[in-house]
Amino acid sequence: MLGGAHTTNVGSEAGGFRILGSTDGNLRIAAWGYWPAEVVSAFGANAPAAAQALVAVGIFVFDCKDLKPQGAEGQEAIRVLFRQLARSPFAKGIIVRGNAMTCMQLARLLRECSAEKRIEFADAEAFGS
Amino acid sequence: MGSAEEEVTRVIHKFYDALEDLLRARGTAAMDEIWHHSDYATTSHPFGSWARGWTEVKVNWEEGAAVFGVYKGHEHRSDRIGGINDLKVVVLGDAAYGTGIYRSKLYMSDGELNLNLNCTNIVHRIDGVWKIVHHHADQAQLDWQAAIGRMVEAGHS
Repeated sequence: MLGGAHTTNVGSEAGGFRILGSTDGNLRIAAWGYWPAEVVSAFGANAPAAAQALVAVGIFVFDCKDLKPQGAEGQEAIRVLFRQLARSPFAKGIIVRGNAMTCMQLARLLRECSAEKRIEFADAEAFGS
Repeated sequence: MGSAEEEVTRVIHKFYDALEDLLRARGTAAMDEIWHHSDYATTSHPFGSWARGWTEVKVNWEEGAAVFGVYKGHEHRSDRIGGINDLKVVVLGDAAYGTGIYRSKLYMSDGELNLNLNCTNIVHRIDGVWKIVHHHADQAQLDWQAAIGRMVEAGHS
């Protein structure tokens, strides 16, 4: 899927994210655990900016199979990404689901950001993640 | 004040009163109050996985409140949504646990949604005050989880 790739890693095993962007306009973000303040801050600074590199034929994947429900600050950082995605060009958006309560939180945030029609949920097994 | 067993029983019933508040969009203040806010607090729900430490536990209850914030099936209902049944309490010094069966009934747009789950609550006495430090409910059946997921995605029940 990804051409020439560049990676950003933030956080620890307990909570963090990884951004894998590509020169061909695709974007994959993997997120896990519960984010401490420094991870929230880094996500807010990096993820929406990375989403600006998506192109009309690009694919966005948000791998959340190991992500826990986030607190108010983490939710707001994800909202900033979703608002960016709501106005970005891309062909297909996928959230890889795991924890059911996290999925419900993400579904609510998508709806709040008017991005629910652009991004669908997929099982990790079906997605081959 | 009654016996330790009576106190623990009262705390566990207050926990389910707090859950009822949460399900009826009355907020999470009562749920916050019934827990010791410790780093060893843990909780697991009919959907989702473990939350460990009060910060994560609190977020889980808040998200539960957000999930049921879109549920409107109780608006014209006077009976409880759910409660603990067959509660048995065991006290061991300053720790105690209760086992029971949580039964609830939700009225969704496409019919009733019933839940029957084994639950365990652990209560700890700190400075003479019994509060919850652990809550575990079995995972709900998949069709129940799917119905709640559809409600969240649709934004209404």
